Amino acid sequence: MASKYDLTQRIAPQLDRHLVFPLLEFLQERGLYPEEDLLKAKIELLNNTNMVDYAMDIHKSLYRSDDVPTEMVERRAEVVGRLKALEEAAAPLITFLQNPNAVQELRADKQYNLQMLNDRYQIGPDQIEALYQYAKFQFECGNYSGAADYLYQYRALCTNNERNLSALWGKLAAEILMQNWDIALEELNRLKEIIDSKSFSSPLNQVQSRIWLMHWSLFIFFNHDNGRTQIIDLFNQDKYLNAIQTNAPHLLRYLATAFIVNKRRRPQFKEFIKVIQQEQYSYEDPITEFLACLYVNYDFDGAHKKMKECEEVILNDPFLGKRVEEGNFTSIPLRDEFLENARLFIFETYCRIHQRIDMSVLAEKLNLNYEEAERWIVNLIRTSKLEAKIDSKTGTILMEPNHANVYEQLIDHTKALSGRTYKLVSQLLEHAQAQVTR
Amino acid sequence: MASRFWTQGDSETEEEESDYDEEEESVAVETTTATAASRYYSGNASDSDDSDGQKRVVRRVKDKRFDEMSATVDQMKNAMKINDWVSLQESFEKINKQLGKVMRVTESDKPPNLYIKALVMLEDFLNQALANKEAKKKMSSSNAKALNSMKQKLKKNNKLYEDMINQCREKPDLFEEKVEDEQEPEDEDEDEDEDDDFDEDPATLESEESEDEEEAGKEAGESGPGWEKMLSKKDKMMDKQFKDPSQITWDTVNKKFKEVMAARGKKGTGRIELVEQLTFLTRVAKTPAQKLEILFSVVSAQFDVNPSLSGHMPINVWKQCVQNLLKILDILTQYPNIVVDDMVEPDENETQKGADHSGTIRIWGNLVAFLERVDVEYFKSLQVIDPHTREYVERLKDEPMFVVLAQNVQEYLERVGDYKGASKVALKRVELIYYKPQEVYDAMRKLAEQEIGETEESGEENRAVEESRGPPAFVATPELVPRKPTFPENSRTLMDILVSLIYKYGDERTKARAMLCDIYHHAILDEFSTSRDLLLMSHLQDSIQHMDISTQILFNRAMAQLGLCAFRVGLVVEGHSCLSELYSAGRVKELLAQGVSQSRYHEKTPEQERLERRRQMPYHMHINLELLEAVHLTCAMLLEVPNMAANAHDAKRKIISKTFRRLLEVSERQTFTGPPENVRDHVMAATRALRQGDYEKAFAVIKSLDVWKLLRNKDNVLEMLKAKIKEEALRTYLFTYSPSYDSLSLDHLSKMFDLSDAQTHSIVSKMMINEELHASWDQPTQCIVFHDVEHTRLQALAFQLTEKLTILAETNERAIESRIGGGGLEGLPLRRKDGQDYAAAAASGGGGRWQEFSFSQGRQGSSGGRMGYNVGGRSSASGLVGGFSRDRQARSGGYQGSRNQDGPGRISGTRGTQMDASTRMVNLNRGIRA
Repeated sequence: MASKYDLTQRIAPQLDRHLVFPLLEFLQERGLYPEEDLLKAKIELLNNTNMVDYAMDIHKSLYRSDDVPTEMVERRAEVVGRLKALEEAAAPLITFLQNPNAVQELRADKQYNLQMLNDRYQIGPDQIEALYQYAKFQFECGNYSGAADYLYQYRALCTNNERNLSALWGKLAAEILMQNWDIALEELNRLKEIIDSKSFSSPLNQVQSRIWLMHWSLFIFFNHDNGRTQIIDLFNQDKYLNAIQTNAPHLLRYLATAFIVNKRRRPQFKEFIKVIQQEQYSYEDPITEFLACLYVNYDFDGAHKKMKECEEVILNDPFLGKRVEEGNFTSIPLRDEFLENARLFIFETYCRIHQRIDMSVLAEKLNLNYEEAERWIVNLIRTSKLEAKIDSKTGTILMEPNHANVYEQLIDHTKALSGRTYKLVSQLLEHAQAQVTR
Repeated sequence: MASRFWTQGDSETEEEESDYDEEEESVAVETTTATAASRYYSGNASDSDDSDGQKRVVRRVKDKRFDEMSATVDQMKNAMKINDWVSLQESFEKINKQLGKVMRVTESDKPPNLYIKALVMLEDFLNQALANKEAKKKMSSSNAKALNSMKQKLKKNNKLYEDMINQCREKPDLFEEKVEDEQEPEDEDEDEDEDDDFDEDPATLESEESEDEEEAGKEAGESGPGWEKMLSKKDKMMDKQFKDPSQITWDTVNKKFKEVMAARGKKGTGRIELVEQLTFLTRVAKTPAQKLEILFSVVSAQFDVNPSLSGHMPINVWKQCVQNLLKILDILTQYPNIVVDDMVEPDENETQKGADHSGTIRIWGNLVAFLERVDVEYFKSLQVIDPHTREYVERLKDEPMFVVLAQNVQEYLERVGDYKGASKVALKRVELIYYKPQEVYDAMRKLAEQEIGETEESGEENRAVEESRGPPAFVATPELVPRKPTFPENSRTLMDILVSLIYKYGDERTKARAMLCDIYHHAILDEFSTSRDLLLMSHLQDSIQHMDISTQILFNRAMAQLGLCAFRVGLVVEGHSCLSELYSAGRVKELLAQGVSQSRYHEKTPEQERLERRRQMPYHMHINLELLEAVHLTCAMLLEVPNMAANAHDAKRKIISKTFRRLLEVSERQTFTGPPENVRDHVMAATRALRQGDYEKAFAVIKSLDVWKLLRNKDNVLEMLKAKIKEEALRTYLFTYSPSYDSLSLDHLSKMFDLSDAQTHSIVSKMMINEELHASWDQPTQCIVFHDVEHTRLQALAFQLTEKLTILAETNERAIESRIGGGGLEGLPLRRKDGQDYAAAAASGGGGRWQEFSFSQGRQGSSGGRMGYNVGGRSSASGLVGGFSRDRQARSGGYQGSRNQDGPGRISGTRGTQMDASTRMVNLNRGIRA
């Protein structure tokens, strides 16, 4: 049941090989799938990377033997050999870059730099290309920090747009894997700019890149402090929402979660409900269903049920179910926040359409006991989030009706008119005067 | 035999017709006297004029007449000598006139011998002339024309004197002698007649030809005489040169081929004859390349058989044509080194290269064009044939033949690497399947499997006969290409394969059409969301105005089908928005090309009518209009009834469906309402019931419509409909009667409308949240408590007044803005939302006028205008054209707004506010202009 809502299979194809590892680790931890399968999957993944040592380790633990297949050994030798070769090729440039004095000679002008390197250090395009290859190789070997550095420097020297782009992707992946969320976020924005720029090759390509970007960004947004707002900013953009709807509706889960957790996004939230309603046919998941129940069907019992399922989903999601350990006390901050907010959502909507509510029913709907519910509501009333009174004799809450007076409304409507007309007239007069003086 | 009527305009046939009239009288006379004449003969063997001895004066006159006649005969002889058919024709007419005089003078009913002899002589000469095609070709056009009409006249004329001619032929000297009838020469005559007919009028030929050619093949044994005679004639012309197979060389065939081709298109060249000659040549062709070249000409000659645009190719010719194309494919498959191309002019002697030639041989030809032409002819024949006849069904059964051909051509093109062409062919195939639901598709598949088996047998016989009748073909082509279409189990699979090929390689138009077919097909299969997404992603609504009319029709059809689909899956709002545009102008038939609608205000020119007729969809592709109307009106009812109840005070304000409102008004004006008869009556009756909250009656009335049985899952749909009606009834009831209640219990409501508590709760809650209903739940008692906030009439009017004032202020602002330029007003709180309705109204008025004005463009305009499709959609580009979706969307949104602005509440776009914003922008501009 828990694995039914597991998205790893849908997400993984949109990620870099290396980025899949954290997901697999998480799954291993949760124990949703048999351990062996996961290990096999890991080896499968590693087969195309250069992290042969790691693969060997996994192989050993998978088959509980010290024997390693010969092909792995051979591959290791090959990798090492290739690493050497690349290192040599890129050596002149690297030595140059490691020399702080020399680096200072570089200027903002790319053309000048290239010229200068070529003239004074005999570093031509070949060496620069070698740097890229070397960085890529480093990345594949799992040396992310090295790769990130080299890629950064490569980008300063690179003139090829396409190469620049892939270097950027590489840098982003490396930063994510090193968990440098701030830098990763910067890279993300840089990449986003390039993707959104008009010069991007084909629309199809563009959509694909957006989808990648969004998938990759999940790592950042659910780890960065400010991520939950930014995920809405990114995903809820027209173009990105379209991409989600077209090719990756499962991302709606994350956007939905972000919306629920984030209280300040009400206007967009309504729009988002429509999207969910519309995408029901292509993607369903307890979190979106929860929203649909609450805001489309007004089915509070359903919403209540879904809320429980949501908890399960959050726990099993590698991005949402991130654990925070404080001392010997593990908490999942997102789950708590989600539940709190979801409860508030239910309550809010419920109150809007009721005049009198029985406390015990409400308590049940909110997954709280009577006492807790009462305390919770009193708190709401005290913080003037809710205009209501508790009638403790009958055990009910009474809502205060808030309908604007008809005459007030009328006055409101007309008040602005006089102001506008006044301004209009004065403007007209000004204009007339201006013409007269001219 | 509609085609006969089509071609009646031919001058020649008319002439013939009048001729016939003249002759008819004499026929009557003749027949009555015929028996008398024979008695007369037997009794009195001597010639009539001789026996007449008494009347001297008369005899002189008689002699004079005879002299005249013999002079004319001399003239004719002279004319024959110099082969001058024009004067021959004149003389013939003269002699006929003289004959009348002679007969009157002699008072006999038997034509004179002299005349009969002349006829015999003429006939012989005519036959000779006809047989000699060479000479015929060399004739001047006037001469040839004279020959042809002569042929006609002589035929008619000679019929009258058949017996005597026969006698005369038998024993020219002893003409008077009574001879036994000999049937043979007469037979020959008739045969000639038949052949003559062929030459003359291709249209009438259809029937006879089919008997002679096709049936002859099918019933190989029995129908002997018909085609054997034909053959003998063909032999006459062909075998002169090709008597001995061993003497045939490439050169002779090529020469003959060039000769025949040169005659093409010239006056006096029978089109059918041309085909026959060419077909004969294919048998004697020396090299495969040559055979191919000739086959191509055969096919194009076959296309020429029907010259008019509105008529269609005779069906049997069509079938032969398909067979020929298959043969072409056989050859192409057998000899992959032969390349078909229509770009380069091939070498003169390219076809001389034999079968063993290894290099590429280029042949001129365009398979795709041929295939498209075959398709067009098939389509046209279906347009013309009366759909209620057996003929139509028979014709429909020919579809697999075309499918086979298309499939083979596509495969060939793919093999050759011409993907562009292949995608065009794939489109033709798509256009054959897209409108077929799975059941029909299955039926076609079965039919194809059986039918083709049968025709294959007969086809073989045909071949056998063909081979036996002439010299065996030099280049035998085995049947390499499959003659049986292969269909995947599921029509969707086939569509997917074809469509993806087209998306990959097709040009713009092909892609758009394929996309529309795809949408249509998805809609048939009840996959609403998929087809909606396809429609929105492809942005066809924006570009459809700029496309050709047939594509626009396809678009309209797809929209109609999409609407039906939305209804079937229970999406009333979407269904309505798909269909409402279609019905807004009242020209559904025209928009769907399913018949010509009469317009009261516009006389169509014949030209327009003809064009329109040519666009019509064949009957089997029609979307049932009654069903469409029922769906449209039912959707409109479901939306409009609660809407009217909600806005009881200002009914004119938010109109969802103008069509529906108009109908309702009309029906309300009636003094007496009878039991419902047509779809409209039914819906109106249901509306009346629904407005009272009587859902049972409303549903019963709607259910009694016959058209629902056309729905595949009728029961489910009706079930859905019932649920919807209940829901809307509940809403209407609440809107209408809430002022009369202080509170209402949930229980009571659920019972009243036969809904579950949860459903009722959900519906009522939704109304509360949307602030449609001023009430709230009292949870412990399960009651709805109504708040008394319903505005009094005065208050409501006051609100309306303020709104109008706002509009006024805004108009002022805009006027000033345009006068003194923008800026300066930014600071003002513009309340454009209210102004929007006004602007929209103005704009839509303009739109309406525009539609009426430009009639010839009206079709285009109205179908283009049907973009107003606001299914709660991701109306901005999802995906493929993601880059610049924004402004485009704004445009479409604006357009939509101007057309059927249903008030902001009803736009169910995902990007509601954005759409609103853009609508506002566009409308503003329009407002200024208006």
